[in-house]
Amino acid sequence: MAIDRQNIIDNLSKIEIRGNNEGLIPAFGVLITQFPTEFWNQFAVRIMNTVSADLREAAWGLLYNAANECGYNTGYGIINSEEWKAVVEPMVEKVPEDILHGAYAVFTAWGWADAEIVELVPNERMVIHAYNYYEADVCPARNNPIVMAPMITGVSSAFMDLAYGKPFPDGFRTFICKQTKGIECGDEFGEFVVTRTDASEDFTFLS
Amino acid sequence: MAVELKTERKFDTSQFRHYINDWNSVMHCHHYAALYTQLADDAGDLFDGHGLLYAAAEGSIYPVFNNYFSENNITEVDDRVAIIEQLMSFTGMGQLKITNPSSTAGTAEMPQSHVDSGWIKKWGNREKPINSICCGYLAAAFSALHNLPEGSFTVTETQAIVTGADKSIFTITKK
Repeated sequence: MAIDRQNIIDNLSKIEIRGNNEGLIPAFGVLITQFPTEFWNQFAVRIMNTVSADLREAAWGLLYNAANECGYNTGYGIINSEEWKAVVEPMVEKVPEDILHGAYAVFTAWGWADAEIVELVPNERMVIHAYNYYEADVCPARNNPIVMAPMITGVSSAFMDLAYGKPFPDGFRTFICKQTKGIECGDEFGEFVVTRTDASEDFTFLS
Repeated sequence: MAVELKTERKFDTSQFRHYINDWNSVMHCHHYAALYTQLADDAGDLFDGHGLLYAAAEGSIYPVFNNYFSENNITEVDDRVAIIEQLMSFTGMGQLKITNPSSTAGTAEMPQSHVDSGWIKKWGNREKPINSICCGYLAAAFSALHNLPEGSFTVTETQAIVTGADKSIFTITKK
């Protein structure tokens, strides 16, 4: 594989970003914020703690959908950005597999998760392991009864959409993802399994 | 002369996390903020989505200000206001100007707003204000500004860029 993951993380994690004169951060083809992880976690936890047990699947799905659409649009912005062209594109030899590996290096550099692809069956299935991620902070005791990383889950299926779905923007939701392990639940790492939506009958996020 | 916000940025290579001063930060884009706001809208009867966004912002930002003011010995109201305005800009959430920050009420204006700009980029204008995140930010800011417990103020967005106005306006009142 041509992708030098550590090189990408080293380069892109050091980008000094701050709001411009208008208090906005245009980068990677989108507007960025650098807000506390605690904000994003608190919103997700408050939702899950507010709804009744029979609505948790639906609520989790709403959080997943937000990340999924964000990942599709932002992922497209990332792989077409000047930053990507400067740092990652020169390493890309095999398309789209190297792009996917590069995207997870950027994913890590952004502080979303220390995540990498551990299994990839082109156009069918991808498995991600995340060894450290801020969403796990929702349960410091590491005994959460349900997995709680809808952001990584939604973005992972979006990245597969970009890699193997129809050209942007028509490939959205070609793939779907399920979190099968979570550090927040006591597992050693988070595990995320992406499969084709049309091969995922009776899919649920939480059971 | 107003004080300047000090920011020490660190990327922890053992955890692969970004820290600004003592808090863990993460980069997210306007799609995410807009979609979370839409999620709050869509929640309908399921839960009070905008109330939860507001509470999450208030709960997560309040300790950031409290710690910063304490660690940097920022005690004057004018200096604290300057830090609150600068942090909003630093995080990319927009441009903030606070006026009349008394211990019982205040107003704030945002000529630029990440949430509003993001929403407009995705879906265009709409009739109602949406910026519950910055309402929560301001609620936290005013409590910390006056050394009061979290939740001491209520913030309402009375005018919004997303509706076509040239700036967003917020009113802050003590509970």
